[in-house]
Amino acid sequence: MNTPLIKTENLTKIYGRGAAEIRALDGVDFEIESGEFVAIIGASGSGKSTLMNMLGGLDRPDLGRMFIAGQDLGQMSNKALAKFRNETIGFVFQQFQLLPKKSARANVMLPLQYRRPRREDEKALAEQSLARVGMSDRIAHKPTELSGGQQQRVAIARALVDAPELLLADEPTGALDSKTSTDVMALLKKLNAQGITIVLITHDADIAAYATRIITMRDGKITADERTEKAP
Amino acid sequence: MRHFIAAYVSLVSRPFRTLLTMFGIVIGVAAIYAMISIGNGAKKMIIHSLDGINTRSIAITPIWTENKASRRTERRPFSEADIEEISRIEGVESVSGENSKEFSVAVPGADLKVGIDGSDAFYLRTKSMTLKLGRNLNETDLQSKALVAIIGSSVAQSLFGTNHPIGETVKIDKIPFTVIGVVEKHETNLSSRRDENKFVLIPRTTARARLMGGHASVKNHVEGITVIFEREQDFSRIEDDIEHLLRYTRGLLDSDKLNFRMFNFAAARNQMMQVQRVLSLLLGSIGTIILIVGGVGVMNIMLVNVTERTHEIGLRLSVGARRSDILWQFVIEAILLCGLAGIVGLGLGWGIIAVAEIIGEFKMDTGWSVAALAFGSSLFVGLIFGYLPARRASRLHPVEALRHE
Repeated sequence: MNTPLIKTENLTKIYGRGAAEIRALDGVDFEIESGEFVAIIGASGSGKSTLMNMLGGLDRPDLGRMFIAGQDLGQMSNKALAKFRNETIGFVFQQFQLLPKKSARANVMLPLQYRRPRREDEKALAEQSLARVGMSDRIAHKPTELSGGQQQRVAIARALVDAPELLLADEPTGALDSKTSTDVMALLKKLNAQGITIVLITHDADIAAYATRIITMRDGKITADERTEKAP
Repeated sequence: MRHFIAAYVSLVSRPFRTLLTMFGIVIGVAAIYAMISIGNGAKKMIIHSLDGINTRSIAITPIWTENKASRRTERRPFSEADIEEISRIEGVESVSGENSKEFSVAVPGADLKVGIDGSDAFYLRTKSMTLKLGRNLNETDLQSKALVAIIGSSVAQSLFGTNHPIGETVKIDKIPFTVIGVVEKHETNLSSRRDENKFVLIPRTTARARLMGGHASVKNHVEGITVIFEREQDFSRIEDDIEHLLRYTRGLLDSDKLNFRMFNFAAARNQMMQVQRVLSLLLGSIGTIILIVGGVGVMNIMLVNVTERTHEIGLRLSVGARRSDILWQFVIEAILLCGLAGIVGLGLGWGIIAVAEIIGEFKMDTGWSVAALAFGSSLFVGLIFGYLPARRASRLHPVEALRHE
């Protein structure tokens, strides 16, 4: 194997000062290879969300280093981080985070709005992405006209648009019923099978079971790291 | 362009709020547009009021003054010697003296009351008038107290119609005068009700000897003097010289108030302009204050917008928007809001101007530059008052923005 897609060294994030100091991340080291489907599991406050924000370039570590797709995130300017989020990362959120007054296609096109230079085939890319999540027949629908599962599919299409290297999903089934959750997880599984690297945050062991590797976190530290099946 | 469409969509999705916010800007822009237009219109009117009037002239008239123990003295007239002396002041082109009174002027079959001006050969010149027919008065007429008359165009029209008046006889206060000249119709924009072409000019000496009683009948007395000087910039100096001279000839001490008045159209115009400028400034300030208040309203609503859309901002940042993208998004929204308000404001201002023109009976100056200034100020307000909320939006932390409830 060549260099890992993600590599962290002593990743540390500290909130507060002095006696009130809380280490949300306390010296986290791990590597994730391209093509893996990793679930990060832990109770609330375990540091898993902080870790995901860090991986997505939304937050900066206080200590340690972090490399994603060959880029040293700690050394990046705000502009470079924006570009990184735009091109390298696709986010899927628990609450979908769709713009309510825009169509599914317009929502999927949102990351392309900030692409520099602009692509001319934005609409086509968005439609391809919607097709990948099975939402081709809902292109013009607004989020309010879609079910929760359909909204999350649109959100996944948005994360996938123009092939990011890493899909970060923060409790993607947290707002869905169990039936819809199964559908969404099956979709993620399928996407992973197509070669997309996925890092999933959850507190639900059943959901984590879809992943090929489960990292367990507690109090800002990794307490377990196990593969559920052979790495691809 | 894409940013503008996005901003437009965002604004029309909250129509009521957008309209309310626009209100202050609309009124502000309308006020600025209307008030500057009205101010400029007034300025033009003042300038044009002097069209056809010689601004290089000073009209001097005696006035009542209070002297010792509040005893009013009589209006003290000037004298022939004053005319002589004033005409010797350097830079003075011509001087005419004038004694006027109204009399009946009659020809067989027609009769009217006309102001009779007893004056001299310089009268027409000092009033910027020219002869249409016949000849001007001359020295001989004055010395011989000749019974000759030059008539204004209105008088010619009333008494002679289309007939040729030169050589005809008119009776002024029953004394027969021969018409030797007719004056070209003179037009000024001064809104004085008096018809300035309705006058009869006769030699001052004749007027004094044959027509006028009281002071004017006394030898040498002159009721009014008009001075024309050569160069406009000499005005103050010549005015000072005349004041000095007349103070001397009228025996006034330095501490005495003047018992005559000097009037120059250019100086009067400058005074009017001064008043107009202050008025314009005042009106413009009111418009500006309204606009600023409107701008604070815009800032307020943009802050509400930013708070409401914190989630959206977090999302946009997480999918790759730069801070500057967010900044521009909200700045453009504020500018567009104010720009739309500016357009409506121009329409409203135009309406106000149209009504003011009907009521005020004068032409406003609604130039493009004024409209552009008013509109530009609305955009400027959008930029200034939109910047702070936009900056706040762009400074949000993406994680906290996404988590915001």
